[in-house]
Amino acid sequence: MLSGGAAGLATAGLAGCGLFGDGDPELPPAPDPLQPLADEALALAAAYDRAAAADPALATRFTPLAADHREHAAELAAVIGRTAAASASAAAPTGDGTLAGFRAAEKTAMTNAVSACKATTTERAGLVGSIAACRATHIEALR
Amino acid sequence: MSDQVASALAAEEAAIYAYGVIGVKLSAKAEVAEARGAEQEHRERRDWLIGKLAESSATPGPAPAGYELPFAVADRATALELAIHIEDGVAQSWRPVLGATRDADRSTALAALTDSAVRAVRWRRLAAVTPLTMAFPGRAS
Repeated sequence: MLSGGAAGLATAGLAGCGLFGDGDPELPPAPDPLQPLADEALALAAAYDRAAAADPALATRFTPLAADHREHAAELAAVIGRTAAASASAAAPTGDGTLAGFRAAEKTAMTNAVSACKATTTERAGLVGSIAACRATHIEALR
Repeated sequence: MSDQVASALAAEEAAIYAYGVIGVKLSAKAEVAEARGAEQEHRERRDWLIGKLAESSATPGPAPAGYELPFAVADRATALELAIHIEDGVAQSWRPVLGATRDADRSTALAALTDSAVRAVRWRRLAAVTPLTMAFPGRAS
């Protein structure tokens, strides 16, 4: 530990400005601001799959919605530059499996996407805006 | 942002014209009301866009006297088909505005894109077209 610290100091001193970060501990890369949208999309897709499996009568209604969310996750992963499943957490609210529950979950998801669209870059605004609009159409489709 | 705004304006003008044609072929009360409401919203979006163009001191070209519809509207079925086509087109015209704007203007553009996408879902339901939704409203297919 002592020698490691000394080596770090020495490296920084030799390099002059630590440009190469040799002495720094490995910092995890900051999560992309769009990562929560991708996680949310995968969580919703999985929730629709579970609900459709539990009640096949809902499958025709839910399957296209799940497919939309998976397309969002794939597109976001491409923009973020990570694989879609890499950091998918199941933390996003996905409702209780009922129509009303999914409407509420889509509404939350839409609000999150609207905020993300406002905050994002010029290059990403179109994609995030389309995702927000799609989530709004899901609320309508669940009426 | 003027180019994107001018394109959205052209789409809104075309939508206002199209809903005049669509409304004539609908008879169910709910469908006529839906068409009237849609036309009114498109007029409001058009006025907002004209205001934006005026702010940027770009003058919109004069609205053409007549519009060419993509196909003939002969009955309820073709009227519903045109309504779907129009809303998809308006959504596509607003998407580039998102990247050309910030803050409140971007929010307005997103609301316009979203409203058109949601109306398209309602028209698809009335026309019994499936799937009701698409993954990326506003993206040219």
